[in-house]
Amino acid sequence: MTALRAPDPQTKTSKRTAALEARPVNLDGFVDEWPEVGLVAMDSPNDPQPSIRIEDGRVVEMDGRTREQFDFLDQFIADTAIDASSAERSMAIDAVEIAHMLVDPRTPRETVLRTVRGLTPAKILAVMKTMNVVEMMMAMQKMRARRTPSNQAHCTSARDNPLQVAADAAEGALRGFDEVETTLGIVRYAPLVALGLQVGAQVGRGGVLTQCALEEATELRLGLRGLTTYAETISIYGTERVFMDGDDTPWSKAFLASAYASRGIKMRFTSGTGSEVQMGSAEGKSMLYLEIRCILTAKGAGVQGLQNGSISCIGVPGAVPAGIRAVLAENLVASMVDLEVASGNDQTFSHSDMRRTARLLMQFLPGTDLICSGYSACPNYDNMFAGSNVDCEDYDDWNTIQRDLQVDGGLRHVDEREILAVRDKAARAMQAVFEQFGLPAISDAEVEAVTYAHGSNDLPPRDVLEDLKGAQMIMDEGITGLDVVRALEAGGFRDVAESLLALLRQRVGGDLLHTAAIVGRDGEAVSAVNAPNDYAGPGSGYRPEGARWEEMKRLRHTVSPSNPEA
Amino acid sequence: MSDQTSTVTAADYPLSSRRPELLRTPSGKTLDEITLEAVLDKRVTAEDLRITPDTLELQAQIAEQTERPQMAANLRRAGELTRVPDERLLEIYAALRPGASTKPQLLSIAQELEGQYDAPVNAALVREAADVYERRDCLAADD
Repeated sequence: MTALRAPDPQTKTSKRTAALEARPVNLDGFVDEWPEVGLVAMDSPNDPQPSIRIEDGRVVEMDGRTREQFDFLDQFIADTAIDASSAERSMAIDAVEIAHMLVDPRTPRETVLRTVRGLTPAKILAVMKTMNVVEMMMAMQKMRARRTPSNQAHCTSARDNPLQVAADAAEGALRGFDEVETTLGIVRYAPLVALGLQVGAQVGRGGVLTQCALEEATELRLGLRGLTTYAETISIYGTERVFMDGDDTPWSKAFLASAYASRGIKMRFTSGTGSEVQMGSAEGKSMLYLEIRCILTAKGAGVQGLQNGSISCIGVPGAVPAGIRAVLAENLVASMVDLEVASGNDQTFSHSDMRRTARLLMQFLPGTDLICSGYSACPNYDNMFAGSNVDCEDYDDWNTIQRDLQVDGGLRHVDEREILAVRDKAARAMQAVFEQFGLPAISDAEVEAVTYAHGSNDLPPRDVLEDLKGAQMIMDEGITGLDVVRALEAGGFRDVAESLLALLRQRVGGDLLHTAAIVGRDGEAVSAVNAPNDYAGPGSGYRPEGARWEEMKRLRHTVSPSNPEA
Repeated sequence: MSDQTSTVTAADYPLSSRRPELLRTPSGKTLDEITLEAVLDKRVTAEDLRITPDTLELQAQIAEQTERPQMAANLRRAGELTRVPDERLLEIYAALRPGASTKPQLLSIAQELEGQYDAPVNAALVREAADVYERRDCLAADD
């Protein structure tokens, strides 16, 4: 008589379990909800209940707190973001009914906006809690501010090589990105890298906007000089404590917003779920509730847009149940208050290709003003924003998904010949500008290497100390964007000089200050003012067709009657 | 502050292409005058590539028309700040950071904004900040 031992996973696991254990998704980190510290996506027992009381045209109570109890975010939101004249009416509408208005394509975008402007943070949270991700995507498709979606890239270098940034920016611009962004390993390299980004982007396509993510005051300084053409890394937070730890208040940030606008420079704020948990002061509130406070702060400050979708904190919502639903919800809320949304998908999120794609589709399918903020136009090892959810090795996958689903993700396949041409031209333009400014020379060997390179490992190293002296010279001598225009012309790159000048000239007219503004192919501003989202259900709104759809059909390898061997 | 009487609507946007005749640089040049040639012989300088309070007012009108009152307010604050030099702008921003200023320091900045730069809306913003900072303990300790 034999007694079979009862299965005990402590001593023996199945081969299937071993196969599952080996899957990349199990390298990801997951945590159970822990509301006391704010590790909860969108439903904490400590989230306030919606309430509003208006006296003499002023909010005197909001979400269970009276004016005397308001922290500085409550006060800023109550006084600037909430429309006191319609708040009582809006707040009286059931959360489910508001969610229906969002989802139903027959309710116009404007009608939703007029209702939402009277809602408090807790009420907006209540609305989001009634919606699943498909409903949120339906709503996003309608609430996105600009008619056409767009995309933004990161162009960075592990060695802060300005030439690499220039070549990747040129290629990225050619592939379709309307904004490109950089940041640094060594902050002192910033002027040269910003220069590379600006020159490269204009080589790829005149009109592509550039920004350099730095500490707020330094970022503004580069913008004032005309070495960058938009700004984004203006961080805000959902609790008073974390806002102050970030060394700002809603008032300092509102002032900064006006400072940028006073020089005609496009800017948006940045926030995202998980930042308050990560910085250790979430007050036990859900991540989404705190993010809604950020979104309304951005609205109240009068900035045109917001970068959100957890951004650099994506690991936090990504680890908890319904976290990625909350991330979509925060993008949607930004759109619901009529802000441009640059919707994340910009930080390494998962080891699993399936999971990072699923996370991406939440914004890719409905379309947002900038689907990634940004997409890594360099290899992952070169990404100085700590990696992105998608990078330059995913270009063909991205283009194929666009083609499979006939959904416009803002990019296109470009032939090798054209890519090499713009990379080479960007590098030569940089060579010329460096020579004009007396910066450490860029050799022909470097130009050749960067034209064919994938990442910084393929490039000859530069003399960092000499480059840093050059960077300091740019700051000390007060080099401006106009000096770059002159250097480009003197170096024989008249067309690039014209493109850069046209972009700097945009400051005078201020058209790029409006919601979701980018510069179109014809050099004109395209924004929610002249290209408002007109989605109203099947058969309406933006759908890729005509020349754009033909462009999207092209891939690296397709078999056709004229090319049967491909 | 401004002798501008024009008003614009969303149909005039983008102003740079649809209403260029309304736009001037701070030194009075038109957009057409900002050419590469003019940049090369330095008839156009970095100071020319700036927006004026009049243009910000026009853009604020468009923001209002498109039901974006907060943006309109921001653009009007910006109009006032065109008169504040870059370095002073950065200093005032730094002074508004938490724990950076005492209440009298903030009130003095408000006075400066009003008196020296004709920026009453920004002055009001700084005064409001001073009050909130006092209530929420964001002021620098008095020395």
